[in-house]
Amino acid sequence: MSLLDLHDVHTFIGKFHILEGVSVEVPQGSVVALLGRNGAGKTTTLKTILGLTPASSGRVVFDGDDIVEMRSFDIAAMGIGYVPEHRAIFADLSVEENLRIAERRKGDLERREELIFGLFPDLKRLIGLPGTSLSGGQQQMLAVARALVPENRLLLIDEPSEGLAPVLIEQMIEAIARLSDTTTVLLVEQNFLVASRLGTTYVIIEEGRSVKTGDMTDLVDDDETIQRYLGV
Amino acid sequence: MADTKQIDQIESPGPSRNRRIADAIKRNRARATVLGVLAVLFLAAMAGIEADQWFGTIMKALAAGSVIFLVASGFQLIFGLMDVLNLAHGELFMLGAYVGWTVYTRFDTFLDVLVPMLLVAAPFALLPLWRRLGARVAALARWARSAAWGLIVLGGGLMLLSITKFPLVIWNAEDFAKTPANYSVQIDLGTLVPLPEDVFGWPMAVAIVVLLAGASALALGLSSLRKHAGAVPPLGRWNLIGAAGLIVASVALHLVRGPLNDWVFGMSTTWRFFIALIVASLLGAGLGALIEVVLIRPLYDRPIYTLMVTLGVGFVIIETVKELWGSSNFTMARPAAFNGSGEGCPAEGIGGFFSGCSTLVVFGSRLRVYNEGFVVVIGILVLIGVSLLLKRTRIGMTIRAGVQDPEMVEALGINVRRVFTMVFALGAGLAAFGGVLAAPSIGLYTEMGALFLLTAIVALAIGGLTSFPGVAAGALLIGLLQQIIIRFGQTGIHIPFVAEPFKPSPTLVPAASIILMIVILLVLPAGLFGRGER
Repeated sequence: MSLLDLHDVHTFIGKFHILEGVSVEVPQGSVVALLGRNGAGKTTTLKTILGLTPASSGRVVFDGDDIVEMRSFDIAAMGIGYVPEHRAIFADLSVEENLRIAERRKGDLERREELIFGLFPDLKRLIGLPGTSLSGGQQQMLAVARALVPENRLLLIDEPSEGLAPVLIEQMIEAIARLSDTTTVLLVEQNFLVASRLGTTYVIIEEGRSVKTGDMTDLVDDDETIQRYLGV
Repeated sequence: MADTKQIDQIESPGPSRNRRIADAIKRNRARATVLGVLAVLFLAAMAGIEADQWFGTIMKALAAGSVIFLVASGFQLIFGLMDVLNLAHGELFMLGAYVGWTVYTRFDTFLDVLVPMLLVAAPFALLPLWRRLGARVAALARWARSAAWGLIVLGGGLMLLSITKFPLVIWNAEDFAKTPANYSVQIDLGTLVPLPEDVFGWPMAVAIVVLLAGASALALGLSSLRKHAGAVPPLGRWNLIGAAGLIVASVALHLVRGPLNDWVFGMSTTWRFFIALIVASLLGAGLGALIEVVLIRPLYDRPIYTLMVTLGVGFVIIETVKELWGSSNFTMARPAAFNGSGEGCPAEGIGGFFSGCSTLVVFGSRLRVYNEGFVVVIGILVLIGVSLLLKRTRIGMTIRAGVQDPEMVEALGINVRRVFTMVFALGAGLAAFGGVLAAPSIGLYTEMGALFLLTAIVALAIGGLTSFPGVAAGALLIGLLQQIIIRFGQTGIHIPFVAEPFKPSPTLVPAASIILMIVILLVLPAGLFGRGER
């Protein structure tokens, strides 16, 4: 059974019809990559799952419950972690507070310390610094680490490689690959090389519609599809 | 762009760190200059004041600054954290003073008002139920709006009708507006005559039931007005417990009010004063939460509208206070611990407080223990307390994060709206607290809110709108300015080539504060401790 199931989801932002029928299936334990050009509606799809831009019609089913009408914070508390596009590190908070704020129960951070600092050893050293004194790569690590503090069943990760130097991209891929052993991931990624290495399945979104889906291994060899939907 | 810069930083931390330090020095040069000039001005002013008046002048400045700070702090919290200019803030300060005064001098009246208030609140604890029923009413399409308004009018009418049937120990606003002086004397003598109970012959049970029905109708009507209800949380156990608790508490209070009144009136006025502080702060916080939920929340995207709405709320509060308390001014007696006088008073030195003197002579200055001691101490405690709350607690952390990125905080599973409501409640509670605290030293009058809010806003602009400690600095600066002007009003300033010394009158204080603000803002557009430009 799928952990998350979007069926024919429509979303308006103001009067703009952004999602015009998106269907995505995220099986338990998989890494699903949302692909598509800029402005296709990938980020909006993630925000719609969380209820930040609520769907006007369609079904969003998480672990058997329809969550379309629920409030964002209730959806997140069901066990969904979010790593947004521009990291959204809280500037007035220290690195530790940025992690601490994600706790749903007291002591979450201590319980998950080993996992988090195992994936991102650098963060341990930076723990007392203010959130904004970090470099872009460190902020990205912190954003992923923050989503790992509570025991989430699903991670929504938006553009983890954006704006990072190649060395850091490699580190990030490794970290996401390792955490996907234990957690289901829905990933938005512009960089096809990154997406193809992480994803087990893919969904291509074009102009607010999900147009193609399948196994990542098939897509890698399918130059025509790549050119048509993802080529510039 | 920002990303590439940040990558630069990891690769070559050296030069960019130096540049950052250089930037910080350049940014702080203007601030250091301003602080230096202010210090020189302060020393020059002190040089013109006799040495034995220094301590007194500074303590009086701290006292004035403390009251300004108590008003400004709550206003700054709400503005700095939520970007809402709460123009009703001064009126919450004023209302706090009046509520505190009532609890302090007429606890019996307060108790009698509290009984129906708790009953009115009870049905609102069942809000999910009303919203569910309200959705049904809204489904009636054609009739929906008139039905909702009908319910509101019906509910309001029933409430008005039944509230007048509750026994109320002397509360005849008309009488007491005519002869406030008599009223005060009667309070002191304890000769006020309570209105006879059950004036119109309604048994208490009937009044309770009618009031509950009215409040329920009002709640249902208000719920049906909402166009799209969205997801309604289920009616939980806590809703039922809350409603039942409120009703039980109300009836219980009514039954034990006799002994309770005797007990409270038997207390020392110091304890009564602390009760007044707590009660007024809680009511202020509750009113703040109500204002945020009902009036501000739908208008976050429209700052001008929140400005208008809070301004309107301020006027409503003023008129309501005039109506209920009469438009008269009151004085509030200082609590017993700060009101002692007797042999050997005013005593020499701070130790005189413990021999029960309300006025002490310290370093040659006559100081009142309440005005220049207690108020200052409490002001400092509030500064420390709120700073710790914001810095050290989880709720403070959530507030700081929620201000910057409410969406992300929601995505972490935190109800960010509730956090904002709490901020509003905290700000309003601080205002009411300040009102009670200031009442014994400045008295009560309905314009006090507007007056102090204006001063507070000037202090805020000086200290920096975005900085909480900056508020304290701004308030202290205004307090100093005020006291120095008053001091020179007595001694006069000798200006070269002018025969008569110039004696500034205290009425120059507002103008001088505004000039100080303008000069500081010209040099430091974000204020003394503010960050960035807003």
